[in-house]
Amino acid sequence: MDLEDDTTVLTTLKSFNSFISHSEHPQSMSDHSAGNGNLQSQYKRSMEFLGAAERVQSKTRYLQLDQEKRQMELSHKRARFELERAASDSARNLEHEVDRNQDLLGQIKKLGEREAEAAKNLSVQVDANHALRKNLEGLNKKLEERDFKLNSANQTITSLRDEIREQKQKIQSKDSAISAQILENQELQEQLDLQHRKYQEISQLCQSLQATESSCSEHIIKIKELERRLVFQEQDIAIVKTIKLEAAKVPDLEKELKHLRDDNAFLRESRENCSLLKEEVEGLRRKLERMEKTREELVNMELEKERLVEKLQAWENLQQSTGLNIRKPDDLSREVIQIQQREIALKEQNYTLNSRVRSVECSQAELRTELSQQRSKTLEEQKKRETQDALVRRLQKRILLLTKERDGMRAILESYDSELAPTEYSPQLSKRLKEAEEMLQKTQNHNAEMEVQLSKAQEETGTLKLQLQAVELELESVKKQQASAGDRSSLLTKEEVSILRQKIEDLEAERQRMEEQNNILEMRLERHNLQGDYDPVKTRVLHLKMNPTTVAKQQRQQEVEALQEEVTLLRDLVRSLRDGGAMGHSQDESSLHSSSLGLSLPPSKEVLELRKQMERSELRNQRLKEVFQKKIQEFRTVCYVLTGYQIDITTESQYRLTSVYAEHMDDTLLFKKGSNGSMQLMETEFSKTLGEMVALHLHHQKSIPAFLSAVTLDLFSRQTTI
Amino acid sequence: MTSTLKGITLKGSTELVAEFFSFGINSILYQRGIYPPEMFTRVTHYDMSLLLTTDSKLKNYLTNVVSQLKEWLFECTVQKLVLVITCLETNEVLERWQFDIECDKSAKESSAPREKSIKTIQDEIRSVIRQITATVTFLPLLETPCAFDLLVYTDKDLVVPEKWEESGPQIISQSEEVRLRSFTTSIHKVNSMVAYKRADSV
Repeated sequence: MDLEDDTTVLTTLKSFNSFISHSEHPQSMSDHSAGNGNLQSQYKRSMEFLGAAERVQSKTRYLQLDQEKRQMELSHKRARFELERAASDSARNLEHEVDRNQDLLGQIKKLGEREAEAAKNLSVQVDANHALRKNLEGLNKKLEERDFKLNSANQTITSLRDEIREQKQKIQSKDSAISAQILENQELQEQLDLQHRKYQEISQLCQSLQATESSCSEHIIKIKELERRLVFQEQDIAIVKTIKLEAAKVPDLEKELKHLRDDNAFLRESRENCSLLKEEVEGLRRKLERMEKTREELVNMELEKERLVEKLQAWENLQQSTGLNIRKPDDLSREVIQIQQREIALKEQNYTLNSRVRSVECSQAELRTELSQQRSKTLEEQKKRETQDALVRRLQKRILLLTKERDGMRAILESYDSELAPTEYSPQLSKRLKEAEEMLQKTQNHNAEMEVQLSKAQEETGTLKLQLQAVELELESVKKQQASAGDRSSLLTKEEVSILRQKIEDLEAERQRMEEQNNILEMRLERHNLQGDYDPVKTRVLHLKMNPTTVAKQQRQQEVEALQEEVTLLRDLVRSLRDGGAMGHSQDESSLHSSSLGLSLPPSKEVLELRKQMERSELRNQRLKEVFQKKIQEFRTVCYVLTGYQIDITTESQYRLTSVYAEHMDDTLLFKKGSNGSMQLMETEFSKTLGEMVALHLHHQKSIPAFLSAVTLDLFSRQTTI
Repeated sequence: MTSTLKGITLKGSTELVAEFFSFGINSILYQRGIYPPEMFTRVTHYDMSLLLTTDSKLKNYLTNVVSQLKEWLFECTVQKLVLVITCLETNEVLERWQFDIECDKSAKESSAPREKSIKTIQDEIRSVIRQITATVTFLPLLETPCAFDLLVYTDKDLVVPEKWEESGPQIISQSEEVRLRSFTTSIHKVNSMVAYKRADSV
């Protein structure tokens, strides 16, 4: 970049130089054409010189600035890096300006050429100078405009310079900031290094700390272990001590043990003996009971035997009386079964006979109906026959009549024939004859028909007669049968029937009985059903395993067991108490205590009552004591006040009297009660001082009250005098 | 209750009957003093005041039995439910409350609801429970501590569920029987009766 920068600067420089050289060139050109237009050229030249001078100045300055810039760039490469863009922009602007400048320069050149041409024209056309002048003026104006433009360009250049300056300042400030930042950066780097170093140190420290901590924890564990060991050791020591103590006790204990073992062995033997004896007694008792039972059973057996013998005899009697082969109930049952079987067979017979009778009756009834039908038929047939007969008779009569008529007709015909023998009347006669013959034939036909009918009727009647005869035969046979049946039944079956009837009645009765029984059984079944019975084939009864009843029963069982246990314990206790009663009270008490402790029995009511009584009596005692104390106190104070002596009991039957007016607390009199009830004065420090009074009142007068009074008076007088 | 107001299905009938048993058993336990009265609380059902137990153990037991019974009622395999009251001291059966159940097994196949309103069934049930309450007047007093058990008479081909076992019928040796009212849902018919130990035989 730097190089490029340099190159751009160099290029600008070159361009500038070239520009300068160009500008010099037209100068020389203008020198050449000085002869043509001095004034104008002078003016132009002056203008050009001015511009060139300015440009040179600016160029130099620019160069200087460039140098400075380069220096600055050299010194502040980093700052330039940031400000590069601005710089390049400005350079670009500058280029633009330079380009424009070049353009302008080109234009100026062109104008110069035109001027030259114009001068040439002037030289050629002096006349047209005015016009040309005018042109020149216009051109001048243009030039002025150009100048103005140039000025403005210069102004822009100056402004750009200002900008450049400002930017330079900015760059400087930025550079300073960069340097400050670099410094800061360095500081921070240093700090960072410092921090790094510190961190390393700290990490080292941490590592060391961890190491120490681990060692510390190890140490702590060790310490704990040691402490535990210590505790163990202490415990061991304590155990050893106790063991030692126990060991010291061991010989004593062994002795005791031996002693106790001996006792135990003795007691065991005695117990075994006792239990053996008890068992024996128990066994004997049981034997006795058994014997008694067997005896009772024996008696019962004998009684039963007698009864059985009686029964047997009864059975035998039965055999004798009935004459049957009955000796045992089995025989009887067999007989009964046989009878029943016979009955059944008879019943079957009865049934068959009954059915037969019924069937016969049925057939009889059928036959009767048939008979009646047949009779009615025969009657009908007879009627028919009669009618047929009547018909036949009528027909015969008619035949007779017809034959008579025929005969009559024939006679008439014959008479006619005789009368009309000639053929006068022959056609009429023949006609009549024919007619008569036709009539005859008709009647004959009719007759024949009638005869056929008759024969038919006769045949019918014959068949009916035959039928009738058959029916009659049948009837007869039936009657015979009936009669025979009647005979047989009357002879043979009547008895059977009666028997069967009876049996039927019996069976009916039995059936009714059975029905009743069935009803009763059904009722019973219903009742059973009501009571909760069931058919185990069809039904099963289920209930939950854990139902309230079983639970309650279990609870009850447990309670009972607990109570039984308690009872046995109490029984043992009672027995031990009873046994212990003989041994002595102390043992009894101790055993009671131990047992009560062991069993932790709840105190019975009696015990509770006794305790209450005890408490009450204790309370009473307490109260009495209190009352006594009070009374005694009162009594003592009264005695003290009245007699002037405080009486204390020091030991058994020794009384110490202290007077109210005693000078010292130790001034006391000591009396002893003798075995015979007499009081004797004992010697004390105080009594030694009272020799006179002792001699006078005790030895001489033998009166203790007088002595005491004297002492009181003496002491009183002493106190009052002092 | 699954059934509508007009008809009744097998399921609805099962529910009704099971409910009746639950209340009936509670009533008997209260009336006969098998459990102390403070273990019961008043509930209004069937338009009447009924007593239900508050003891959790008893409740648990009853729900167990009734739920199983419901299953059997639904399968129409139950014949009887019997509440047996046993004397704890002598292990003697003192009372048997028997509920004979007649199942219309055709209801299992056809699911068509029967024409009988719940209201009328509940009226019938109410009268049965009233009668149970009224029986206290003639039943002998239970003087000893007693416990109860529930027996279920079922068809033989039934598989015995876990926790259940076969039991004896627990028949009273000398008993008087009194038939009580019955009710029917038109699928299940329940005949109730009570048998108790004759007083002079004790």
